[in-house]
This record gives sequence, structure tokens and C-alpha cells, in this order.
Amino acid sequence: MRHIRSGCGCEGASQGSESEQVASLHSRRRLLQNSAVGFGYLALSSLLNGQARADEVAGATTSGPSNPLAPKPTHFAPRAKRIVFLFMKGGPSHVDTFDPKPLLDRDNGKPPPFELPKVLFAAQGNLLKSPWKFKQYGESGLPVSALFPHVAKHVDDLCILRSVHGTNPAHGGALLKLHTGSDQFVRPSMGAWVTYGLGTENQNLPAFVTICPTLAHGGVNNWGSAFLPAHCQGTPIGNASLAAAAAKVKHIRNQRIDVGLQREQLDFLTRFNQQDMERAGRDAALEGRLNSFELAYRMQSAMPEVQDLNQETEATKKLYGIDDPVTENFGRQCLMARRFLEAGVRFVQVTHSDSEVQWDQHGDLYQGHTKNAAEVDRPIAGFLSDLKARGLLKDTLVLWGGEFGRTPTSQGTDGRDHNPHGFTMWMAGAGVKGGFAYGATDDYGYYALENKMHINDLHATILHILGMDHERLTFRYAGRDFRLTDIAGRVAKDILA
Amino acid sequence: MHKIGSIGSRGTRTMRFAQLTILSGLWVGLLGPLNLPVFAQESASTAADLEFFEKQVRPLLVERCYECHAGEEKNGGLLVDAKEALLKGGDTGPALVPGEPEKSRLIEAVRYKNHDLQMPPSKPLSEAEVAILVEWVKRGAPDPRVATSSGAAPLKGMSLEDGRQFWAFRPISNPPVPTVKNSEWVKTPIDAFILAKLEEQSLQPAAPADKRTLLRRATLDMTGLPPTVDEVDQFLADESPGAFQRVIDRLLQSPHYGVRWGRHWLDVARYADSNGLDENLAYGNAWRYRDYVVQSFNRDKPFDRFVTEQVAGDLLPDQSPETHIATGFLVLGAKVLAEPDREKLTMDTIDEQIDTLGKAFMGLTLGCARCHDHKFDPISQADYYALSAIFKSTKTFGDSNTGAIKHWHEISLATPEDKERLKSIDAAIAEKQKAASSFKSQAITAIRDKAREQAVDYLVAALSMDLDTSLTEVALIAAPLGLHPRILHNCRRHLEFHAEDPFFAKWHEVAAATRNNKVANVCEEVSVGEETASGELADGDDDTPAQSPEKPQADMPVTSDKNPIVSHYAPLLDAARKWAEEKKKDSKLKPHDDPQVMAAHAALFNNSGFLTVPAKVGFAFDAKTLEEYNRLADEARVLESFAPDLPSAMSVGDAKQVLTSVPIHIRGSHRNLGQPIERGFPKVMQTTIADPILPSHSSGRLEMADWLVSSSHPLTARVFVNRVWRWHFGVGLVGSTENFGVLGDAPTHPELLDWLARNFIQSGWSTKQLHRLIMRSSVYQMASSHGDNAAAGEAAERIDPENKWLSKYRMQRLDAEQIRDSILAVSGRLDETIGGKSVPLRNRQFVFDHTSIDHTKYDSLKRSLYLPVIRNNLYTMFEQFDFPDPTMPTGSRHSTTVAPQALLLLNSELVMDSADALASQLLEQHAEVGPRVQALIKQLFAREASDAEVQQIDQFVTKLCSATHETSVPPERAWSLVCQSLMISNEFFMVR
Repeated sequence: MRHIRSGCGCEGASQGSESEQVASLHSRRRLLQNSAVGFGYLALSSLLNGQARADEVAGATTSGPSNPLAPKPTHFAPRAKRIVFLFMKGGPSHVDTFDPKPLLDRDNGKPPPFELPKVLFAAQGNLLKSPWKFKQYGESGLPVSALFPHVAKHVDDLCILRSVHGTNPAHGGALLKLHTGSDQFVRPSMGAWVTYGLGTENQNLPAFVTICPTLAHGGVNNWGSAFLPAHCQGTPIGNASLAAAAAKVKHIRNQRIDVGLQREQLDFLTRFNQQDMERAGRDAALEGRLNSFELAYRMQSAMPEVQDLNQETEATKKLYGIDDPVTENFGRQCLMARRFLEAGVRFVQVTHSDSEVQWDQHGDLYQGHTKNAAEVDRPIAGFLSDLKARGLLKDTLVLWGGEFGRTPTSQGTDGRDHNPHGFTMWMAGAGVKGGFAYGATDDYGYYALENKMHINDLHATILHILGMDHERLTFRYAGRDFRLTDIAGRVAKDILA
Repeated sequence: MHKIGSIGSRGTRTMRFAQLTILSGLWVGLLGPLNLPVFAQESASTAADLEFFEKQVRPLLVERCYECHAGEEKNGGLLVDAKEALLKGGDTGPALVPGEPEKSRLIEAVRYKNHDLQMPPSKPLSEAEVAILVEWVKRGAPDPRVATSSGAAPLKGMSLEDGRQFWAFRPISNPPVPTVKNSEWVKTPIDAFILAKLEEQSLQPAAPADKRTLLRRATLDMTGLPPTVDEVDQFLADESPGAFQRVIDRLLQSPHYGVRWGRHWLDVARYADSNGLDENLAYGNAWRYRDYVVQSFNRDKPFDRFVTEQVAGDLLPDQSPETHIATGFLVLGAKVLAEPDREKLTMDTIDEQIDTLGKAFMGLTLGCARCHDHKFDPISQADYYALSAIFKSTKTFGDSNTGAIKHWHEISLATPEDKERLKSIDAAIAEKQKAASSFKSQAITAIRDKAREQAVDYLVAALSMDLDTSLTEVALIAAPLGLHPRILHNCRRHLEFHAEDPFFAKWHEVAAATRNNKVANVCEEVSVGEETASGELADGDDDTPAQSPEKPQADMPVTSDKNPIVSHYAPLLDAARKWAEEKKKDSKLKPHDDPQVMAAHAALFNNSGFLTVPAKVGFAFDAKTLEEYNRLADEARVLESFAPDLPSAMSVGDAKQVLTSVPIHIRGSHRNLGQPIERGFPKVMQTTIADPILPSHSSGRLEMADWLVSSSHPLTARVFVNRVWRWHFGVGLVGSTENFGVLGDAPTHPELLDWLARNFIQSGWSTKQLHRLIMRSSVYQMASSHGDNAAAGEAAERIDPENKWLSKYRMQRLDAEQIRDSILAVSGRLDETIGGKSVPLRNRQFVFDHTSIDHTKYDSLKRSLYLPVIRNNLYTMFEQFDFPDPTMPTGSRHSTTVAPQALLLLNSELVMDSADALASQLLEQHAEVGPRVQALIKQLFAREASDAEVQQIDQFVTKLCSATHETSVPPERAWSLVCQSLMISNEFFMVR
């Protein structure tokens, strides 16, 4: 039984009687929020001498509690160290990709023999069979449709979740629910929670990057930190309206002066700030600002270097489909993602979207999905191969999916409507069983039925794989302990390797 | 949902039990020897049933239900591990009615027919298992289990009685002004309260700040701008005793006071120019509310009136457009505009309003009582629904919508002339939009027609590709034939996906033969694919070895009728085209005799068939067409974006139908309703012992406003004076400005808080009087460090590191608007115009749709207050410098330091342009380095430059400009870098 929550669920909050404890928590949090220093925290002494350089920075990565982004101990042994989410914006159809329904073929054109949800987005027609054939692949023999011939070759590495379901049938609500756990309130995104819980391994890069995210349907909230400390928010690289080749972090380069000159400017600034501190007295906020400039300076060079795909071989580029205009854009995104993962970024999201409503085929499902699948199939397959070849798949969790699936009934003559009641996502890599299908929708693919996995359960499971107990990863805000999973969430233990 | 109210079902159960009793009595009488008391008879009859329970039911419950409904786990308030617990049920009432499976929620849930009530959640029971439970309930649910645990005791908030004793709910007291030792320090009663605590802690207040620091502090605090050089000189020159009081009065009269302090209130009002959340539509009229707030502060509107207007301005006896605009406060929240469930949308929106009302005016988290009684504060769920009844009788949504997107409520301020004018503007926009869309459809038709003409060529060309042929290679194949590469690319996929379509059987047959042929010839010849890729397809090559028509090659000339694709498909497609022409003329034309022709027709004229034109214009059009289309589309968009709207304002009104009650929503669900609750106010804050009697013809909002601003309301004045204190000092007397409840912070100076609240009400709720009182106090005028008094400084550091007791002024970083406005002001670029619309979009236009293209510009040089506030995508400068999330009331902004802030300060055009502007002024006005540096330091920091600073800057500039420097730069650049560095330095960024 799932009820609408006001988002207040207070089960986690402790009693107010221990007011002293609460008060100390408050001030500690305030300290954290107010003195958090971006992507890292340098030993102050070296900075004050104006001599901070990269080698010293490397040594600072495991600095003490003063660095909120230092790697943190997990609740238990993690199965995966990092995660990449390949987000298919718009809602790919599960019955046309990873969840075949023979009865849908048989009963094509007939009225649905089951009750439709009470609240519908739009009028729905009769059952519509899939335009694509399914084939079994690999040793597991799991079926994949003709849309994903390349991904299908990796089926023995996939853990196909066929019983995911959410609560919201509209894009905005569903994106927010998937990314933040709440479709009604502004809440921290899952990447922000992961960053908050785990810190990161490379102090010169953000812990959480999102490549070409969509600005619609929740926009920044989908990678925001809400009430979590600011350093937990995702750093967007471009947005969905930009080509991946042009995607950059805002203000990452000075367009007017070169790096050498900027170094001199920074030294001048540092000296001025030091003199000010001598007059005004030392203060954490002042010192924090000094550090932030040095970190920004290092990020200026670290970021473009990770994004520079020219360092890759032609063969690798080809593997990701960068040689083909159809797959180039998503291929670049995936390759960039691999480079970020390799560099120690904790959470990477890659969004397949552009200036169209990508996977949202209310009409002409056939052409729309054909185009979309052609754009991502090879890059995803190449990405999986590459992760595997480099040994990254061993400790990286890959998640694939959209904000919901699509109805097995038709919309108009040849489209499908949104379906949050049952759809497919898949995982691959660290911590999950490969060649494994988990859960099931009903005979026609409308409702999740077996081993149902609500979005909250998905979140609980992801955190579990990363070594965190979703009930213990909490943040005290406005008088209660918040969680990514609010007051719900069950770990799908059956999928764990 | 099968609705069983808890009262109703309990009634049913009682009745059922009564029947049983009567029947049993009857049996008793009839059967004599088997005379058994009722309960004994029950247990006797369950001897077999008990075995059934033990063997069938218990294992099932344990295996499938206990994980969430036994012992400490009490999901939905339901336990199934004891008989009593099942009969009592969970939040939604009894789980079963013995003997009546059809009336038992347990059975309904396991049957999985009701999508809102399905258990177990992860996997339904098998039919056999459901049958067991049905049988069990039919038998009267025999169950020997007794409760072993009561489950975790639910967290309970305070009782009403305890609540009324909690500091926040007690009436505002009348504390005496304390006596202190250091009475000289006391300039206002505020100082006495502060000093009393300091003396208690053996802390000494810091010395007064020097005049420059004080002026900079007060000016930034009250106007958001640094003092000008003239203002500094004047204040320094004025040595009379009332000098600072005159500064305070001057600042309070500045129109920029409202810009600064209105913005503070807008934080609380979660002001934004767009909806955000799910569908980001422009709030094209929100600016009227923003300007109303600024004016209200500038005019020192009594705060009680200000509250009343925002909550019930539409209901006031002296209502005006202004008071209607004020109610925009209730409409500004972020809403799930595309929520298809209307009732959910209504209740979610009311929740947002109640939450905002609670936090903004009362410092209470009322939203926590939506699903259950507040777990900490004395606010019951009934209190919540009493308020929600008032809001449910209020109209927040209009009657119109755009597709799935609902419109919020607005009132029109338009004259008939406005409406006439708008008609022609709307027509002009529609015309532009039509021009773009018809250009697009014509262009697509042309591409489609051409492709149909070349259908055979596409089929032939597709032979030389496979699914992995890259678009680059496809383009090489397509070019010599004049084919569209994307159509060809898709054509090959279509053929693959339609291998079983009889019409394409021939193609697949030929393709298979071609593949075989290729394999056979692979050693002797360059592969067909490469040859075609080199563009030699059209040249023909009759010298290739003779081949039978059944063993064709893809590089065979397209025109050649030897090519089996051509010979098979060309006649069919021609016939199909011809038939289509005739059909156009004669709609009654009979189908062609040859079914193959009709199949060709179906394939050819299927818009989503083998010749599909890409839906994406960027893929469909050539560069020239695309450019033209983009131009037309952009023309339409720009015309629409900058077109005026009918003057109207976001506001609420009373609903046509007044609801006097709203049922409790069990667990917050609108599909699970409990007992009705009359409209009213939270009991713990009722100012009389009687419940309010609200008018039956209106929502009750006006009465709610009266209650809020009643002098006996314990919170409204306290919460507001605390906000003002927070905005002056950086931390409130109550740290948690939005939470005065049990989990909030307790006041550091409770007597001072009450004294301020009382004084505030006595002053006629005058905010400006409150400012004067605070700013005239010694506590406001202290230095931000103990300076030379090392002992006092050391004691403060040791006893009070957080400066809770205010022994010195709390240094604060400039906030986002102060940063931008100060940088623009000192570089002479600030546009001081006040008021007006700022979001460059029409009302309800999409800020962001699926295109993710950001059309919002932030290049205006007006005060930051007038930049668009776009939810879900704040202006980078705002986002980086802790601008609050504009979806929830914020009284205390954070002040974080993160590296991206530094990137922005080092590399953004805003900062670099400002530095350039300041540098060129300095170069123009001061020929000598010394005076130039003096002017710069005074402009930025309101102080004199030291000789060392002059020297340092001189050296830096000289070095950068010298010919021997690695990259010698012109003086303009060097001075710009100096200006930029100082503008982003700590001294500039800190208010001390």
C-alpha cells in the first residue's frame, strides 16, 4: 500500500529531549555548511606561502575531517566504488526493449483485458504489439529486442530490473522522483546523497558530474544538493541543448588572459588577502576563500584534461561510435564518463536527450525509438566493453533507464503513453548478478507484479551496493533526519552478486 | 478504493458479532447437551480451524507479511502477528471482518485488484494462497496468537497543555530591562539585555567600530550597496553627536532600502519568476508582487497590515488592486502543474500554502501534520485539516489550462483598450508561428516527395550497407545518387526490422545473394562496400564478370534493369504512384487489381515507413533550409517573448463554494478520508478558549489574517522581529528562523526577543522604528574583533567561539546580490532604475521546455533584485553565492565557500567587464600612480591606501607591462587585473 506522503515522515528524527546533543549537531552542521571548501581543502600553511602545487594537493586528499569531500568510510563493505547513470530522457518503452510480451503480440488491437489506472495522462487505445522482434542472447539467453543488437551482446553482464515502478505519470514529477526521491518537494539528488555519504577520490574534480543534462522537467533540482552542503551538488557539463563536443563547465577558462598571467594575478591577490588577514586576524571563512581560489585554479586545468578525448586512440573512439555522426554525440558523452570515472569521480550521469523530447514517443513509436536506439546502442556497448577491458566494471555500478516506461496500449494509432506503473531499468557491473532478470510485469507489461521495485527501493539498492545503509544515510534539516528514501525503500537483495 | 471508514466497519463488526451471539444462543437452547458458553463454543468450533490456521495460515503470514507487519515493523500502522492487532487494523481501519472476506481489507489487498491497495508489495500471493486466506476469514479468522509486542511506541508530540507552556506558545511577556554594571555602554534597552548576558559570561563587548567600517556596514546592510566616496567624506566630516543617526535616517529614506529589505522578505515568500518543479512556466506577473513588497518596505507599511494583505487582501473591506496583488504570496509556490490527479494537485498545493504560512509568519513546520499529528510540536492533524479547509475554500487555480498544464489563478487588471490591443498582438504572434510551421511542413513534404520519387534508388543503395554502416559512409553512398543520407540510414534499419514483410521479401533475397557473392569474391576484388563508399556507384562498370540476374551486385548501375531490385520494384512502385495520382482525382477509385501494387502503395506512402523523413529538423533539412526555418521560428519566439501581456496579477480569490470542513486525510492520502474537521486555527495558538466562528459565505482567510496579527498571537511578532535581527546580525536570537518549535533553536536572549516583539507591536508594527532601535544600539556599532584588547579577545574565543552572546560584531560575507551590485556600483556600471517586469518571457510561456535552451538573459545592469529568478535554473552568480532555494521560505541564507565561486570571480564577464570599466576610469582620472591607488582603495574599501599598498600595486603593474615580462600587457589590462583582484578580495567581500 503506497500512500501520498507530505514528505515529512519523521520516523528518523530523534527526540528533542537531548537538546544539547541537538544543539551541538546544529552548530557542527552550520560549521560544515559555512566553511565547506568546494572540491577539497588544502593544508593552509603551504597555501599561505603561496607555494601550493599539484603534488601537495595529492597529499591532501586524505586530509582530516575538515575536508568534507575526503573519502569517507562506508557503513559496510561496498560492492561498487562509483556509479554511472545512463539516463534515457523521455521514457523508453520496456515492452519494446528488454521486457518481451508474447500476449501483446497475440492480442494486438484488442481492448486491454485489465483495469487501467484511475488517473490517466491521456486517453488510451487498444493493445499495441511491439514493432520489434526479440532474440535470446548470451549464455543466460535473456531476450533483447532488435533495437539493441550491440547492448544485447553484453546481456550476460546485465541485471535487468523488469519490475521498477514509480508514482508520477508526468515527465517533471517522474524525473524528480527518480533523481531526488520526491516529486513534490525540492530534495537532494541521489548524486548529492552519494557525494555526501562517500566523499570523493579526486580533490581536483567535482565528486558528482552530470554530462549534458536536460534543463526541463526539474532542471537543476535533478542534480542539486537542496539542503545538503553545497559541495554535494552536481557539476553540469553543458546541457542537453549543446553538442557533447561543446559541453563545458561554466567559467572554466578565462577568455582574456593566459594561465601564466592568471597565476601572477592570483599571487597578487593572495598577498593582498594575507595582508588583510594580518590586520583583521585569522578566520576560517577568510582562509577558506583563499583556498577556494587555488582549488579553482587547479580545477581549470584538471577539468579540460579529463574532457580531452583527443588523448584516446582511434580504436577507442570507434568503439564508442565517435566515428559515426549518428552515435558520435552520445559516444562522446560515454567516453567522457569513462574518463571521469577513471579519474575518481564518484557519481557520473550521462543524459541521452537533445532539443527534442527524446524517448517520448506518444506517436510514431517505431521511428522515434529506432532513431534513439541507433544513437545509444553502440556507445553503450562500447562503454561496457571499455569499462570491462580496463577493469573498471569490477567496482563501477552502471545504471540504465528512463523516468518511466511506456504503455502496452496505444496512444493514437502508433504511439505509447507514459507508464510509471511498471517498467525496466538495468544495472551492470559491480555488485549485481549478470545475465539476470529480476521481477516481472503482468502478461501485457502494464503493471509491475513480481518483486516490485519502487523508485525508493531502487535508491535503497543503489546505496546498498555503494556500501551505505539507506536508513542510516541521513541529514538533519529543519528538525528532522532526511533520507534519500524518505520513509520507504527496500534493498532488492536478490540482485546482489 | 473500497472505502471503509473506521467507524463504519467497526459498526459492521459489532453487528456481526451480535448475530453470532444470537445464533449461538439458539443453538445452546436447541442442543442442550452440547451446551457451551459462547466463547467455549467458538474455540470448540475452531479446533479444526486452528489446525487449518497453524498449517496453512500462520506460515503464510510469517513468510509473506511479517517482514513489514510484525513486532517492531508496523508499516501503515498494521500488525498481523496477533489476533487483536488484525481486528484493530492499521491506519485505514480493521484489516479483517471475521466471516466476511468481501469486507476484509486484508483480502482486498492480497487480491491485487485495487491498484492503491496491493499486498505484499513486491510479489502477489498465488491464487492458492489467496484462497487460503479467504477460507480462513470465512471461517471467522480463528487465531490463537496474542500480542507479544505492541510495536514501537509512536513518537508523540506535546500535549496541548504542555504546548501552551512551551516558550514559543506562551504569551509575549513584559520583561524588565535588566540593570548592568557597565551602564555607559547602554544606548538603548537592547544593549542592556545583551550586556547583561555578556556580564553573566564574563565577556566584554568589543570597542566601537571606526567610522569608516560602521558606515560601510550600515550602508551595505540597509541598501545592499557600498557607500560612495562622497558619503564616506561627509560622514567623516560630521563630528556632531547625531551623525550616525542622520546616516540611519538617510539610509531608511533611500529607495534602495526597499530593494534590500524587500529582497529579504522575498526570501521568506519563496519568490520566483517561474514555476520550476515539473513544468517550468514563466510567472510573467510575479514582478507585481515583488514591486509591492519593495514599496511596502519603503513606505514602512505596518507589518500587521502587510501580513493581512498577503493572506487576505482580496477580502479586505478597503481592497484595491494593490491588496489583490499582495495575495500573490499564496500563489507563488512551486506547483506540480502537470499533475493529472486533480485532487492530489489541490491538496499538494494547499500543503505548500500551509507550510509557507506556517514557516513565514509563525516559524512552525505545520506541513509535518499532514499525515499524522506533529511528532514534536503541539500541532495535531486536525489542526492541519482545519487550516486546509480554509485554503480549500480558496481559489488558487484558474479555470483554464494549456494541455495537461493547469493555470494558476490571476485577476485581470486590464482595460477594454488593453484587451483590444492584445488581440492584434496575439494575432501577429499566431501569424509568425504559422509562417514557421507551414514552412516546416512544406519543406518536409518536398523532401518526402523527392524520396518517394527515388524509392528504387534507396532500395538499391541500401544493399551496400549493413546496420553498422556509419552515417559518414552512408553519406558517401547517398551523395552521387542525390539521396538523403539520414533517410537512407533509416531505410536500412527499416528493412532489417521488416524482414518478414512480404513486400520486402525480394529485397532480402537479393541482399542475401549479394552477401554470398561478396564472400565468394572477397579474395579477388575490392569489397563492394569500399568501392561504393568511394563514390563510384553511378559510374557503372559493364566489364565486371558476367553475372546472372540472380547474382547481382550492389554496384550495378541503378538504372540497369539487370538489377533485380530495379526490375522487381520499379514497376510496382510506378504503378503505386500512378494509382495514388488517380485516387487523388477520384476518391471512389477501386483498389488496384494487383495486390502487390497495393502493398507497394502502402509501403511508399507510409510516413513512418522505409522512406521516413527524420522528425528532427536538424536531421531532415539541409543547412540553408534549416537556417531559414530557425530564423522564422526564432522570429516567432522573440515576438512572443517580448510581447506584452494583458495586465493581470497572480492572486487568490474565494472559491464559489465555501467548504466548512475537510476530512482528515489518513496518512495524507486524498484517497483515504477520515472524519471531517471544521475550519479553524491550531488549538495551541487559539487566542481565546472558544473556537472561532467563521463566516459561511467566505473562506475564513480574513479571519485567519486577523488571528495572525492579533496582539495576543504568540508568534507573529516574535518571528518577525527575530527575522529583522537575523538580517542585521547574521544570526537570529532564535537561530532557526523558520522553526520556533521543539526541534528549532531556543532563543539565546528570550527576554530581549519578547521585549522587541512587544515594543514592535506598541510602535504600530513599524519596521523602520525597529531598524532605528537596533542600529542606534552599541551592539550594532561594535567592532568585529576585540582588536588590541587581547585578553577580551582571548576570553571571547575561549568562552564563546560562535559569538552567540555578541561580544563583537559578526563579520559576514556579502550575499549574492550585494556582491553583484557592489561590483557594478564601484565600477560605475550600476543602473539604479527601480521596478518593472524582468523576466523576458510572456506569462505562462515555457522558461524551459524539452529543448533545454536557455533564453533567459542576465545582462541587465539593474539591481540584482530585478534579475529573473528562475526556479530549477538560477542565475549562476545567485546559485554559486547561496541564493536561497526559491521554493521554500528562507530567513537565514547560508554562506558557503566553494571553488566554483572562485572560477566565476576569476573568469566571468560580469567581473572582468567591471574591472575594465573601473580601470579605465582610474587611468583617465589620475595620471599618477599614487593618487590612482588612493582613489581605488577608497572607492572599494572606504579607507586610505597604505604606502606599502601603493608600492605593491605599482610594482605589479610595472612588472606586467615591462617589455621583458613573458607576456607584456598594456596598462589597461594590468590595471584591470589589479581592480579585479581587489574586487574579489576578502576585504571587499566581507562586511566587518
